[in-house]
Amino acid sequence: MKKFILILAVFTFVCSDFLQAQDVSQLTAQCAANAGDVMYLKDFVVKLDQGTPGGAPPTARFALLLSKNVVYRFSICSAPNSEGEAVLQLFDMNTLLGSTFITATGKDFPFFDFKCQKTGVYHVFISFKEGKAGDGVGIMSYVKKL
Amino acid sequence: MLNKIKLWIMRKAIVYLLVLLAAAAGSCKSGGQGKDSGEIPDSVLNQGIEISEDVMQDIVQNISSPVEMAAMIKDLGVPYSNRYISPTDRVGNLTTSFQQALNLGIYAADLGYLNMNNKTSAVIDYLTSIKSLSDAIKVGQFFDFTTLKRLATNSKNLDSLMYISVHSFNEMDKYLHANNRTNLSALMVTGVWIEGLYLGTQVYKITPSQMLAERIGEQKLTLDQLMLILENYKQDKQYAKLLDDLQLLKDLFKTVNIRIEKGEPEMIEENGMLTIVQNDKSIVEISPEQLTAIIATTEQVRNSLISL
Repeated sequence: MKKFILILAVFTFVCSDFLQAQDVSQLTAQCAANAGDVMYLKDFVVKLDQGTPGGAPPTARFALLLSKNVVYRFSICSAPNSEGEAVLQLFDMNTLLGSTFITATGKDFPFFDFKCQKTGVYHVFISFKEGKAGDGVGIMSYVKKL
Repeated sequence: MLNKIKLWIMRKAIVYLLVLLAAAAGSCKSGGQGKDSGEIPDSVLNQGIEISEDVMQDIVQNISSPVEMAAMIKDLGVPYSNRYISPTDRVGNLTTSFQQALNLGIYAADLGYLNMNNKTSAVIDYLTSIKSLSDAIKVGQFFDFTTLKRLATNSKNLDSLMYISVHSFNEMDKYLHANNRTNLSALMVTGVWIEGLYLGTQVYKITPSQMLAERIGEQKLTLDQLMLILENYKQDKQYAKLLDDLQLLKDLFKTVNIRIEKGEPEMIEENGMLTIVQNDKSIVEISPEQLTAIIATTEQVRNSLISL
């Protein structure tokens, strides 16, 4: 009986892991398809906890090497069960270049295109509005050469 | 495209489950991962290389993409040539994990070039080679050979084929990072990079263009990132030899000058779509002599790597 419970526990653990991996794969594929007629290059999967009241929202950061003369597309998708809505921002050092959420207008975009003119290391930041918890995927795609 | 990918995810998920169960069942029996090739095992090579979350965030995620150089060359209108890709008949001779990971990257870049040019008949050979090498370094579970092979038989499936190929490569890379086998990930990325550079330089020889010259020159930045990671493993003589080879290129790239012209980014919203135009510009200063030397050395290093 003990053996059976142990096997069941291992199976449940493995299954939960497998279901989570499947959800992430589906969300990534969906998000890549939503990006339109472009070529998928990279995904950034995030799982963020709820932020503390008054504190900065939890943020995932990824370093990227982008090439001059290329138009890249950055897309963002939140998992259906997420409490918050994911936002992707692109930075060059401390300069914010683009965001899927424009604070000044309150407008959301599922993606934005970035006409890169300078080869170098950039950073993608992903967080959830108001520091809420959630799962999300950012996608970087190749659109065309400039 | 999405339906094909959904089907692929379902199939992949079932394979994962079986692999996880088999691994759980087998973990009690296995006594370690011995190798008979005289290689330093991955676990030993990665010992002491503990990467904190903060440092991890600073490691460049996409040092080299298996499709970006190929996409640019296609956009430049340069016709496909099979002279630029590495032959697959040598896969059986690749016996160490060092050779296997490095060549997995080389073939991934070749696969990107083939896919980009819709050369479906040749794709199967490369898929077979990648499958064999990914199994050998135990990341084959991320490479759904059956689905990819089926997609490759129909040119209408190009989008799905491209997505699954690149995504599989990214997943292998993530898995290697997560499982303390960063040394093999570094080799895969090096393979992708050198093959991409080889493709770019060989195309430049036949069809020179300013854009390609700049793209070659700016590889200086990528090489710096790559060598920084490989340095961690130089106690293994195979990595030390690879670093020596790459140093030949680094010495040449040192003389390439990249300067920046500053400008403010612009945000344009048109038809509901947002576009950011960067007005900072990098200018790559590279002479014909520098290019000739880089082309020759790239050819030498790449050919030495594929003859391992």
